[in-house]
Amino acid sequence: MSDAAAIATTEVEPDWQRLHPATLALAVVKLGPRSLNFLPAVAALGFTGNWIWIVPAVGAFLLISLAAAWFQWLRFRFLVGDDEVVIESGVLSRQHRTIPFDRIQDVSIEQGLVARALGIAKVGFETGAGGKENDASLDAIALGSAQALRTTIRAHRSGEVAAPVAADAPEAAPAQEDRLLFTMTPRQLLIAGLFNFSLAALAVVGAGMQFFDGLLPFDFNVFNPRDWIDVAEDYGLDQWLLAHRWIAGVGAVVSLLLIGFASGIATMFFANWDFRLTREPRALRRTRGLTTRTDVAVPVKRVQAAILVTGWFRQRFGWHELRLQSLASDGEKERDHQVVPFAKLDAIDPVLAEVAIRRPDAGQSWQHSHRIVALGGLIGAVGATVGGLVAVSFGQDLGWFGPALGLLIGAGSLFGARFHRWADLGEQVAIRRGAWKPKTTLLPHASVQSVDLKSDFILRPLGLATLVFGVPGGSSLGAHEIPAIPLAAAQDLRTRILAARARS
Amino acid sequence: MTDTPPHPTDPFDAEALNAAEGLDPVDPAYAQVLRIATALNLIPLAIGASVFDALLIRHLEGPYGLITAAAWVIAAIVIVSFPSRRVSRWGYRIGEGQLRVARGWLFRTDTIVPFVRVQHIDVGQGPIERWFGLSHLIVHTSGTHNSTVTLPGLHSDLAAAMRETIRRHIQTDFA
Repeated sequence: MSDAAAIATTEVEPDWQRLHPATLALAVVKLGPRSLNFLPAVAALGFTGNWIWIVPAVGAFLLISLAAAWFQWLRFRFLVGDDEVVIESGVLSRQHRTIPFDRIQDVSIEQGLVARALGIAKVGFETGAGGKENDASLDAIALGSAQALRTTIRAHRSGEVAAPVAADAPEAAPAQEDRLLFTMTPRQLLIAGLFNFSLAALAVVGAGMQFFDGLLPFDFNVFNPRDWIDVAEDYGLDQWLLAHRWIAGVGAVVSLLLIGFASGIATMFFANWDFRLTREPRALRRTRGLTTRTDVAVPVKRVQAAILVTGWFRQRFGWHELRLQSLASDGEKERDHQVVPFAKLDAIDPVLAEVAIRRPDAGQSWQHSHRIVALGGLIGAVGATVGGLVAVSFGQDLGWFGPALGLLIGAGSLFGARFHRWADLGEQVAIRRGAWKPKTTLLPHASVQSVDLKSDFILRPLGLATLVFGVPGGSSLGAHEIPAIPLAAAQDLRTRILAARARS
Repeated sequence: MTDTPPHPTDPFDAEALNAAEGLDPVDPAYAQVLRIATALNLIPLAIGASVFDALLIRHLEGPYGLITAAAWVIAAIVIVSFPSRRVSRWGYRIGEGQLRVARGWLFRTDTIVPFVRVQHIDVGQGPIERWFGLSHLIVHTSGTHNSTVTLPGLHSDLAAAMRETIRRHIQTDFA
């Protein structure tokens, strides 16, 4: 399989391989956006009247860029040995990197749109080293050899004694072949997209139009209501609109809804098309994406916590999203891994079982945080109210927004405070929070690295304390903390969590 | 001072706080370190306030001297009285396989790091600390929150001994 992709060089060791030649084509594609950097130079040439130099300059720029890409390709080689990957790179300063198979947690495969057309893929080695820049990648080799490489490394890993160092590994080791845990059919994607209603896309387009307002060749901005009013006046539409303002209002609402639903469905389809979550011997593997397909593995032993996210509305239909917090991060922007984008709980439970995390059942008795957690919101509400009233007293009528907003914030924080709750399930802690977007964090005791018990001049007289857990790997959903619980309960929970660790 | 058992929520009895929570106090000499550090921060500020006063307020014919006096008095109070109070609110406990560090009063944080969860340990010493023979201990964990836990105000020998204790635990648990 690998012969198609990798050209063996005529070195002494015949095993040295190069990246796929199509990588050069990819470099040409990437040249497009990069040549924008060259625009100022072209403009400068134009303004100074040196028109004849523009074409040679652009030509030289392209030539140099291509030569650089060619040299980089020429000087990049890698070797897949018996138990390690060696990568040599760099044109002027050479870099030689050795990655033992033992240290590779998993191999991720990613394909962009152009890469898919060319049949190549970017291979990333997840080593668990801190920081994304420490992880090596091969950008790019043929898809076939990428998969072969992954199989080689995985075979090596499963060939060795599967010594589960961590006690949280599931005992009955699953069969060697991969099992499909979760998929998303187009129908499910459609439902998920409907719940994914969002007007964010509209805001982005609107902001974009604002930005390009001065650049547009015609004097009409779709997002400027005044332009629309002008048009309406031109055609006598304003009379019609005034006469039928109800119809106009309904039309506006319907079109807004349509845009919201369409953007929700589109983002869901682009991100999660052909979503597959498979259980492999050591990891959960997720492949997804319509244009950019990603293939990411979450090593089971590295899972630190599970986070169940839902929404106030979708909760009524039993839809949830499952994220796993792991030592390895998911791409550059996400800190945790979305392993189930949208499913009912009975579909999520098998996935949770694979990472040995239990979900509290419906009969679980929860303990509540003290209402004092609403204090921050209430202070904000008072601030908004006072600010607004001051503005009103200076004769600014817009200031009435202040008290209204304050009332809304205060009510929201008072209401939301009731949803801070927690439960100790023996081996793990469950923390729930949020009314608008309820999140349940399932944190195994064994994942906790350190415990903070915090109190301040407000919590202390009430006999309360806040527990904050230090957990490896980040989460975009905030720190793991149980706010404002009775001091004795906090100390007790801390002791139990620390005792659980001593066992492992 | 009192015969009654110390109440842990008495904000004016800082000595009782550590005792009630079973914590050891840090070296009192750390107050001098904090004092010098505070002075190095505040004296330039006070000088700045004096210059501002001399250049601007006198020029505006305002109440010259007020800001200068206030700045120096506040700086003196902060330098003289605050460091020893801050030091008395630091406490630590090493043992039972874990390191416990508590700090602060208005916002008190009580951190426990089990030795087995320590990734690596630093013992550091700044120039002011060296003058008083003190060091600080920094414990690194792999958690995102609390990735470093710092315990200042330790006698250098004690800091080294604590480092050795924690190091032994790391070795026995991961060897």
